[in-house]
Amino acid sequence: MQFFRRHEWGLLLVILLMIVLTTLLDSRHNYWNDPRQSAINILRQTSFLGIIALGAAVVIISGGIDLSSGSMIAFSGSVCAVLLVLLAPNEMRNSLPVGWGVISTAIAGTLLAGFLIGSLHAWLITVVGLPPFVATLATLVGLRSFARALVDNVTTSVWRASKSQIDVADDTFRNFAKHLWIPATLFALLAVVTWIMLSRTVLGRHLYALGGNEQAARLSGIRTEKLKWFAYVFSAMLSSLAGMLYVADTSTANPQMLGQGYELNAIAAAVVGGCSLQGGVGTIPGTVLGVLFLRIVIDGVAKIIKSGADVYEGLIVGMVVVLAVAFAQLRGVARGGKRFFAGPLGVVAAVNLALIAGAAAALFSQKAKLAASQFGGVTALAVFGLLIGVRWLEGRRERRS
Amino acid sequence: MNTSPLISTDRITQRFPGVVALRDVSLDIAAGELRAIVGENGAGKSTLMKILAGIHTGYVGDLRLRGQVVRFGGTGEAEAAGISIIHQELNLVEQLSVAANLFLGREKRTSLGLLDDREMERIAGELLRDLECLAKPRQLVAELRVGDQQLVEIAKALSIQTEVLIMDEPTSALTETEVARLYRVIGRLRERGVTILYISHKLDEVFRLADRITVLRDGQLIRTLEARDTTPREIAHLMVGRDVESFEREAAPSSPLPSGDSPTSSPLPPGEGSGVRERGAKPQSKHTATPPHPSPLPGGEGTRASCNVLLEVANLSLPWSGHARQWRLKDISFQLRSGEVLGVAGLMGAGRTELLECLFGAAAERPTGTIQLEGRTVAFEHPAEAVSAGVALVTEDRKRLGLFSQMTVGQNISLCAMRHTVSAGFVRPRRERELALQTAKDLSVRMPGIDAAITGLSGGNQQKCIIGRWLLTKPKVLLLDDPTRGVDVGAKAELYRLIRRLCRDGIGVIVTSSELPELLILCDRILVLCEGRLTGEFRRSDASEQAIMEAATKRSMKSEV
Repeated sequence: MQFFRRHEWGLLLVILLMIVLTTLLDSRHNYWNDPRQSAINILRQTSFLGIIALGAAVVIISGGIDLSSGSMIAFSGSVCAVLLVLLAPNEMRNSLPVGWGVISTAIAGTLLAGFLIGSLHAWLITVVGLPPFVATLATLVGLRSFARALVDNVTTSVWRASKSQIDVADDTFRNFAKHLWIPATLFALLAVVTWIMLSRTVLGRHLYALGGNEQAARLSGIRTEKLKWFAYVFSAMLSSLAGMLYVADTSTANPQMLGQGYELNAIAAAVVGGCSLQGGVGTIPGTVLGVLFLRIVIDGVAKIIKSGADVYEGLIVGMVVVLAVAFAQLRGVARGGKRFFAGPLGVVAAVNLALIAGAAAALFSQKAKLAASQFGGVTALAVFGLLIGVRWLEGRRERRS
Repeated sequence: MNTSPLISTDRITQRFPGVVALRDVSLDIAAGELRAIVGENGAGKSTLMKILAGIHTGYVGDLRLRGQVVRFGGTGEAEAAGISIIHQELNLVEQLSVAANLFLGREKRTSLGLLDDREMERIAGELLRDLECLAKPRQLVAELRVGDQQLVEIAKALSIQTEVLIMDEPTSALTETEVARLYRVIGRLRERGVTILYISHKLDEVFRLADRITVLRDGQLIRTLEARDTTPREIAHLMVGRDVESFEREAAPSSPLPSGDSPTSSPLPPGEGSGVRERGAKPQSKHTATPPHPSPLPGGEGTRASCNVLLEVANLSLPWSGHARQWRLKDISFQLRSGEVLGVAGLMGAGRTELLECLFGAAAERPTGTIQLEGRTVAFEHPAEAVSAGVALVTEDRKRLGLFSQMTVGQNISLCAMRHTVSAGFVRPRRERELALQTAKDLSVRMPGIDAAITGLSGGNQQKCIIGRWLLTKPKVLLLDDPTRGVDVGAKAELYRLIRRLCRDGIGVIVTSSELPELLILCDRILVLCEGRLTGEFRRSDASEQAIMEAATKRSMKSEV
């Protein structure tokens, strides 16, 4: 199997392009002036998101979907904190060190919780027969509230004080995320292991077969239920791991905020990296580049517009997913004479894109202290004019042929 | 015809990425004729028809309808011009009623703008009656048999004043009765003056129906012949462009037996519970339909099958919960010897596929009865167990149940034998390639390369890859479910030769087929199923199409239940 296919090379190119653009457009030129700190920031974010994206990729390649990873992060972060509280109530209350034994037990317990939830998914899907979307949607909704109840009840019964979050002050535990090298090495290690598993083992080949054609896989003597069990447990345990890293990073387990919406970022990264939601297609190098790309775009926009960038994170992720997948699929189509702006829907689409472009321009110019409304209006009009021009050209090309 | 063709194509060329599907095809079709279009898979028949029906629009060349150059932008425009197509995979919405499907996109409305179901159902009822279709207008399409669904499509075409009807392999999924009904419907359509373009693999029906036959090969028009001036042999020759192998049936097409009409006068053996057997049909029916052909095997059948019983099935039943019949299979007993080819004949729904699935541990429910493999009783609960015990199943629906379309040729071949490519837990790509390449070469798979996409191969070569996949598991029993469906004439002969070779190596083969002549050529013995029961067993020397068809349509079995 080749290491990089066309998709991966394309991603790499776009990543480099984004880095250059950010360096130029950022008024402080952070990437140029302080490359080390910038790289560390991006790498940290990439490692955290990447760990859950690996799980998402494996599930997607096997033809399923795991919507629960965000809630799974909240749940396992909470489980970890709750275990720490139960094992060392006084130390946790007074922010004292809890000791290695307690930490390892909590970590093992959290990973066990991940295994159990993953197995629950597999059972619901293979035995009860729920579609993966429904099974993991249930845990997406359920686990977060379960985690909140858990934190509330345990703090009440142990400390006699109801809390909605648990602070984890232990330095040993926090060090897992404090130094970049632990999450980064963990991510790199997991990525390589997952990559080899998918591309060089029988298990991996069978996962691709399962995703590509489940019935044919079963009729080829492949134990499809066991494979699904593996895939969902793999994904859930990686989420558990990420959950603990997030708790270590923020020194607190807040089940309401932790990992909110991360499942979609992980799925988006896998999809941008070339995984097909139909299953059977995708690679780990692609997924890793997808994560990196997503983080670099988000970071780049934050650098350019400075403050309040988290507001735009969702907008950026959405656009990146649409663009990346559209480019991957449309390579041949444009040449085949497909019309993108034909008919009434085409006109509305042109208006839509013009409005989005105008709004983006207005927001951007406001941040850059320019005349927002004029700048936005002009952009919207220009984009609209351009798209109507495209529409006209498409129509003419069709009439000619 | 030369004066004013209804449809004519002028040097039409259709390119798809990487292939030229049609090259300079010029064709004239007269009003009211029934034109058969024949050719191997990939010859361009369907592409040509899709151009006529407005599905492919990116072709080069001219299409004329009544002398006027037209270029349809979609099926809607073609239908408005009077051309309808009935696809091989039917195009109906299964969750909607028959009437709703008939008027899909052209719904009748009341003065209030609401759907006028009553009117639509009335018209649908009339159309269906005309076509001898038993479906009710209010029935959901999903509840209908394939044959009735097809008639719904024909009714739909008629309801929009179709002048030209394109039928793409319309009989491929029909029972004999339904085929006979379809022939009558076609006759009636012709009386109305409908021009019919008929794509088919089956030469016997082409000769029964067509006025003229057009042969396509590799995207080019080879020749158009008057049906009465030619022979199936000549057409088959033109289709493959080479001499058809001796495995092909030698002479005239068989006449498909109208089922149900034949009296089931042959005595029913009493064997209740142990399976019903019938050896040697009526002597006069012997060799009436099938001409004698030279035994393709050195030594003949007697020496091929050893006495070594490989598989023994006793009283096998497969329940069918929630169905009026209660069982899909009932009290099936038979033996398979090593080196033997055992055929399973039966109409659609007789339980051929279900029987093979039972033997492979892939049945929908748990079968009862005993299956012994080399003397050991086995009860497979998952195909994985069957595979490790040495049973292999090549499934009927290649695309849906066999192929991994996103994988390469090599990966498709090696899938079931991955453990042979592993050392120290890791797959060795080179070893995998060699294994796949060796198998592909062994089965003479024609392919651009071992890393090519499996979807780029022709049906016959895909089938060889899947058989290769199973041969790598070193099976003792090979189950082939309609292995030559959708496979062209030349590749069929190769598959037959391959099956023979496997038998010489001692593998026992069970093969089903919807084409009786194929079973007669291939098998040492033929079992006949009818509605889940074994209604006949023939040695090759005693078998004839007539006798098998009688056993397969034994309606009297019902009374016994």
